[in-house]
Amino acid sequence: MGRKGGMKMSLKDRLAEFDASRKRPPEVVAIVRRGIDYVRESGAAGLSIGDRAPDFALPNQRGEMVRLSERLSRGPVVLNFYRGVW
Amino acid sequence: MHTIRSLGADLVAISPELPDNTLTMAEKHAIPIDILSDATSEVLKKYRLWFAVPGEVKTLYLEKFGLNLEKYNGAGRWELPVPATYVLDQDGIVRAGQADPDYTVRMEPTEIVAAIRKIARVT
Repeated sequence: MGRKGGMKMSLKDRLAEFDASRKRPPEVVAIVRRGIDYVRESGAAGLSIGDRAPDFALPNQRGEMVRLSERLSRGPVVLNFYRGVW
Repeated sequence: MHTIRSLGADLVAISPELPDNTLTMAEKHAIPIDILSDATSEVLKKYRLWFAVPGEVKTLYLEKFGLNLEKYNGAGRWELPVPATYVLDQDGIVRAGQADPDYTVRMEPTEIVAAIRKIARVT
């Protein structure tokens, strides 16, 4: 990723560059696009600024339970929801 | 990530995947953040990020990308979260964040760091 300014490139620009580099056929792009529109219309809009994040407890990669409220007692938390390792 | 830590904040990642059994315990210990498994999608739903993968996208994944989500998520679980990032203050209030079904749109790391700095200044 070093060629266009390397680390100075924003994540947005790097993702756009990656997406373009895949050169997907138009019919594939159309399906992906419709899928995104479907999710947008489904109302899965997430939390808003000012909302209280619901507490939860889930196992981590070592099988240890992690509780959000316990982590918050130590400091701010950045929560990242991702689709998977694929 | 080191910047987030140095500001006293923690980073927690959540996906619908089942715990990864391909990693050794040593590898699991080497991962510096908590990667949580929401195997019932309960948390994804609580955060209003859950969706069922539409039929034509499922077909695309299976036939064109060779991607079977059940291999990662478990039988029958063609479901995913909207990719999202939330910066929570110590009261658990969302102070900054982004959720976008377009997976090429993500919160800039610089914005995440700026939000944590702002929380640190106020509290």
